[in-house]
Amino acid sequence: MGDKPIWEQIGSSFVQHYYQLFDTDRTQLGSIYVSICLSVLSTLMQGHWQKSSLPFTKIAHSITAQDHQPTPDSCILSMVVGQLKADDDPIMGFHQSFILKNINEAWVCTNDMFRLALHNFG
Amino acid sequence: MGDKPIWEQIGSSFVQHYYQLFDTDRTQLGSIYVSIVLTEESFQARNVVLYWTFKNLPFTKIAHSITAQDHQPTPDSCILSMVVGQLKADDDPIMGFHQSFILKNINEAWVCTNDMFRLALHNFG
Repeated sequence: MGDKPIWEQIGSSFVQHYYQLFDTDRTQLGSIYVSICLSVLSTLMQGHWQKSSLPFTKIAHSITAQDHQPTPDSCILSMVVGQLKADDDPIMGFHQSFILKNINEAWVCTNDMFRLALHNFG
Repeated sequence: MGDKPIWEQIGSSFVQHYYQLFDTDRTQLGSIYVSIVLTEESFQARNVVLYWTFKNLPFTKIAHSITAQDHQPTPDSCILSMVVGQLKADDDPIMGFHQSFILKNINEAWVCTNDMFRLALHNFG
């Protein structure tokens, strides 16, 4: 039939939702995350705080490529390569990875890693 | 004491091993992966496929340079590792790449169950 695998549907749907929220009202991003165990709760709460206090006003993400794979524990690994522009800064490449997990019939984000593709620093 | 968290130790150790193997003899990379499908036959078939996949990549020489790596524990006691770096294949220009791995502890060994790679090429397509 040509339908995409379910992990691609869920992953690409999440990615679209994530960057749309990020670029329009990132203070709402906290709702997509969940803490699975008490030891990472403070990290994720801090992540939410950091997202609303990032050092820019305007941001736009452009996705160059995204990949999605199922993981052994029935999660989804999503990887995004793209470019972003914050305020009047030059366009920069970025790389982001997410892990999505189905909890109580909702897909939530349990891991989020972001890096700018800056190779000439440090 | 200043020790790194265990997932950073395992993740960075894996990343170092992975790129060292890749750059010196990538036909050996098959051994670090595992298929979770629980039959020996499919596991061996997968390793044979990986051997040929890595062997038949369209370059002879390759060198990876890691710019940054990050490691996080996942809800199911796996490790998510993300690498941003640059590579040079044969006489091609240096290119940026992004790679993500999931590591899982199976029978007291950390193996790679997921591997995603992308060149950072934004001007194509």
